[in-house]
Amino acid sequence: MKYLALFLALAAVGMFANLVRESKALSYLSSDPVVCITCHPMQTLYDTWEHSAHRTKATCVDCHLPHDSFFNKMLAKSRDGYRHSLAMTFKTYGDNLRVTDDAARRIQDNCIECHKELVSEMLANSQPYDKKSDASVQMGRRCWECHRHTPHGRMRNLTATQNNFIVKVN
Amino acid sequence: MKKSTIVIILSVLVMVPMFLLTMSIRENKAEQQTINAVPAIPDGETRASEWGKHYPREYNTYMQTRKSDEIGDVLKEDPNIVILWAGYAFSKDYNKPRGHYYAIEDNINTLRTGAPVDANTGPQPPACWTCKSPDVPRVFKRDGEMEFFTGKWAKYGDEIVNPIGCGDCHDNKTMQLIVTREHLKRALDAEGSLKMADATHQDMRSLVCAQCHVEYYFKKTEWDDKGEKKMAAVVTLPWEKGFTPENMEEYYNSYGFTDFTHKLSKTPMLKAQHPGYETFRTGVHARNGLACADCHMPYMREGGVKYSSHKVGSPLDNIANTCLNCHKGTEQEFRKEVEEKLARKDELARQATAVIAKAHLEAARAWELGATEEEMKPAQQDIRSAQWRWDFAVAAHGAFFHAPEEILRTLANAIKKGQDARLKLRIVLAKYNAADYEAPEFATKEAAQEHIGIDMAKEVQEKKTFLNTLKQEWFKKAEEKGIFDPAMRKDMVLKTSY
Repeated sequence: MKYLALFLALAAVGMFANLVRESKALSYLSSDPVVCITCHPMQTLYDTWEHSAHRTKATCVDCHLPHDSFFNKMLAKSRDGYRHSLAMTFKTYGDNLRVTDDAARRIQDNCIECHKELVSEMLANSQPYDKKSDASVQMGRRCWECHRHTPHGRMRNLTATQNNFIVKVN
Repeated sequence: MKKSTIVIILSVLVMVPMFLLTMSIRENKAEQQTINAVPAIPDGETRASEWGKHYPREYNTYMQTRKSDEIGDVLKEDPNIVILWAGYAFSKDYNKPRGHYYAIEDNINTLRTGAPVDANTGPQPPACWTCKSPDVPRVFKRDGEMEFFTGKWAKYGDEIVNPIGCGDCHDNKTMQLIVTREHLKRALDAEGSLKMADATHQDMRSLVCAQCHVEYYFKKTEWDDKGEKKMAAVVTLPWEKGFTPENMEEYYNSYGFTDFTHKLSKTPMLKAQHPGYETFRTGVHARNGLACADCHMPYMREGGVKYSSHKVGSPLDNIANTCLNCHKGTEQEFRKEVEEKLARKDELARQATAVIAKAHLEAARAWELGATEEEMKPAQQDIRSAQWRWDFAVAAHGAFFHAPEEILRTLANAIKKGQDARLKLRIVLAKYNAADYEAPEFATKEAAQEHIGIDMAKEVQEKKTFLNTLKQEWFKKAEEKGIFDPAMRKDMVLKTSY
């Protein structure tokens, strides 16, 4: 009995280690965009970013994660990672990926962070133009309601870039 | 409950979901592999139509390169260039490039490749095929690189039949970009700033183009074919000392390399090919991490699919999907900007050819009057330098845009060297009582060709015979061998400058 318990406990630890390896869990600590295409639904988003002007200035995490503190960054990363793994496991992601309101807020904060010189006037005067108030983002309106191409292009369904041979993770 | 029982229950409880999760991950990985799998294309398949069965959008856009079909006769536009190349086949026929689709057609049709009557005749070595076809890497593999570069151009007429296509840049097993020409790998490693082994995917999006759009020469190389000594003319890129015209000139001078001896001035000349990649590397777009494919193969939308256009050509045909990806402005503004750059280059290039042509003609006069080699040598060195610089600046037709400052600098130096030569020649002419010698000017390419003694009527007649006989046989034989799809040349219209 005692030996069986010990064996099963060790097996559970081994299985966990194997799970970490199979899921490449540790790679997610990196900020390399290639890590984001470990799962194929992100391939189109990677390919379209790779063909955009943003590729030389901003990686995935530069736009999609908050930069105010390391803690918030890691918290957001873990939360996104958890949601993504659920979606991947239960295949609930659909044919077009959409950002959550929380992610939209972070992204827009980052748009403003980099382009603040350009948008400072807009920020200061956003009140009168705030026609479609959207409480989830600064200024009440999402940048990409108008800048729809930036940076992934307007077409980014999961099968849009099927013959893109840039980087494939197998 | 006993401690060990609790451990057993807990262990099993965590193992079950972990097991299921592991299974799910494996399933996802298997699915990913299926999604990423590429159709099997057999080794040595060089017919674009076969690859096109799996990649219809890429194939269709590739086939549209046949729309780039105008013959632009460079010699007609600037007859001075005929004088510059006196004694070299380029003075007979030199056109602006057409689409990739015409690579084989134009290589066969140009007067430069002559009029062979069988596999062992004609003026050129097989190296002239090197950049024209995916059949080249196929034959490299079959015959070996040295055998490929030995003998006459015509020996591979019925083997090299498919124009630049899929297999030149793509691995048939993985579809990844691949360098199929060994000369590029050797040159990158010799130059050293970007070793072949360190090339990223973004680098490869330029390097596949750099297999051909580069300066090269045919290096005479002796090799041993099972005991028999043979001489090969191997395509080699002169990059060992760097990418600038000065670097390459130093490389060529270091062992006295000469492409041809000028018929009028008797100068040992260099002929620049098309240093497109090298000049691009010195420009602002390269410094900002762009690759050739970013502008020459823009991302296209068709229905719900995005793909890279394989209609490789001028980005000005598609400004919205190229320049405007990164820049702000209107199409008109960009077109005007590029036209201005071109006009600046043309202005200096015209001055350069006028000066260098005069130098050649004045040197010819000096020789006629009995000038000695010792008297002529300093001027000849300037002529060689000047013409190399002019050629380097204009031969890659897009260089004026890729690296405007570098190209204008090079042209300015060409003009200066050319004038230096003329100054030295004037002193020699004065010595032989011809200080007031006026070199003739040529208004048409025909007049210039007559002056340098080319019998164009004979050249054209022989060529036409070749086009109607051997050329036709080549494609017929290739079709019989199963390496050529005749649909590829359907409705092809013969277009030449002669």
